[in-house]
Amino acid sequence: MLFFQQLRGELRKLFARPRTWMGYGAFIAMEAVILAVYKLERSQRYMKGMLERNGLEFGTYYSSLTITFTIMLLSMFLLGSIYFALVAGDIVAKENEDGNLRLVFARPISRLRLLLIKYTAVSLYTFSFVFFVGVSGYAMAVAAVGWEGGLFVMEPKMKVFAAYPEWWDGASRLAMAAGGIGLSMITLSSIAFMFSCFKIKPAAATIITLTILFVDMILQGFPFFKPYESYFITWRMSAWVFMLEQNISWPKIIESYAFLLGLNISLFTLGWLSFQTRDFKT
Amino acid sequence: MLIANGLYKNFGGKPALADVSFHVKRGEIYGLLGHNGAGKSTSLGIILGMVMPDQGDVTIDGISVLKNRSKALRKVGAIFEAPAFYEYLSGWDNLKILMSYSGGFDSEAAGKVIERVGLTKRVHSKVRTYSHGMRQRLALAQALLPEPEVLLLDEPTDGLDPEGIKWFRDFILNLRDERGMTVLFNSHLLAEVELMCDRVAILREGKRVFEGSVSGLQDDTPVFEVDLAPWDSACELVKSAGGEILTSGRISLPHAADPAVIVEALVRTGIRVRAFSPVRRSLEDLYMEILNGAPSPN
Repeated sequence: MLFFQQLRGELRKLFARPRTWMGYGAFIAMEAVILAVYKLERSQRYMKGMLERNGLEFGTYYSSLTITFTIMLLSMFLLGSIYFALVAGDIVAKENEDGNLRLVFARPISRLRLLLIKYTAVSLYTFSFVFFVGVSGYAMAVAAVGWEGGLFVMEPKMKVFAAYPEWWDGASRLAMAAGGIGLSMITLSSIAFMFSCFKIKPAAATIITLTILFVDMILQGFPFFKPYESYFITWRMSAWVFMLEQNISWPKIIESYAFLLGLNISLFTLGWLSFQTRDFKT
Repeated sequence: MLIANGLYKNFGGKPALADVSFHVKRGEIYGLLGHNGAGKSTSLGIILGMVMPDQGDVTIDGISVLKNRSKALRKVGAIFEAPAFYEYLSGWDNLKILMSYSGGFDSEAAGKVIERVGLTKRVHSKVRTYSHGMRQRLALAQALLPEPEVLLLDEPTDGLDPEGIKWFRDFILNLRDERGMTVLFNSHLLAEVELMCDRVAILREGKRVFEGSVSGLQDDTPVFEVDLAPWDSACELVKSAGGEILTSGRISLPHAADPAVIVEALVRTGIRVRAFSPVRRSLEDLYMEILNGAPSPN
């Protein structure tokens, strides 16, 4: 019970800070841009050609669900990662920099418990943010093209291609995939969180996290690393796309999320060890 | 109530504390003095479990901070020089969050404490709009809310105006008198320490170089400020009476010596006595003597 009271306080702090809301604003703007592009005649023509080449009807798959999928695919790693790294990189380091931790350390709370509260808050923020992007993207897409239609999925990197003509099938798969993105993104937040626990500036925690993410993505794209792609964090983080396959391969998905879970636990532990053994001089 | 026992701490090979021990008795206000870098804040950090000592331990009401920090700090409240609250939240929300780390928030109790520290009107305003004095009042509220038995004050009156300093001092003295609260007071303001503390410890370069009662400062050899002429003859007479010449214009006499008798003897030998008044030895005098090895230049 007390944990939830502490967690509520942590979330209250998190959502009272302007920078926490910056991501929401940025995503609304990005969704509007993607929608505007989708509405262009040229892009509709391109999409029509692509669907028809695959034997699919443009009228069924030029839909709010397909647009929502595109928004989530394009925006999460590129834009979402920045905000997750920013928020998670701040959560401990900023409080240390501002001196808030001194007041907290005058309280009878253990460092481990404090970190658990903060990590839970960051994870909740990350997970809920993904759903916000999905729901807001879908709402805007509905306003632009109507709610009806199926879901068309094409992700060449992960070799996923699927089509769901029925709205309900597509919507439920997309909701499931959003949950997968949320879980994947917690790994990104975990990296930033670990650095935030180190004796570094909050901005450094964010920058190092983004560097790791982008280097991982770039290296993964090299042909030389193709046989080793499953060792890359970003490849594992992309496992959510497998939830959109016509026949879901659960062992493949579970393997990736087990990998990410193990990584998250390791990152938290490293952060905690650093935080636990540090002196916080007044 | 609060015992620091044989504390050692090095930062990057540089000693910050070397065998520092002190014992704050229940209901006592204990002052910790020293230059910047003398080890006061490190001591406070160790008491709060923010800094791990290389050696030694601190116990609060018999509970070791090193072994059981959470339990030991249940009876502790702390105030820092520049308390860093969450600026973007109200004072009330800050108290709610901080109290959640101390076992839960009781809005009725919080209301009473806020009223007591005189922050009722502004407690729902954002902290970023608070003056320094208001922040200190909020700091006092957060420290008092868990109903502590020990209060740790780290330079709490720095930056306050004289009125604020007096209010703060009276508040702490009342707490001690009403609730028997134990207070560890870390400050540079020697006059404040003298007015508030029962006992003091002075730290120099991480070592405790003095511990004693503030009232006991007057028990030392009586010192007098004098204006005597001719000075050389006066000095001889003072020395023959067992006194000591401290500086030109300042002498000390043995406890047994009656100043009136000395003055009478001086006058009788033809020495002009323009001034002969006892000097109250302040904490500042003692502090300067200990830290500089010489009396304060006044």
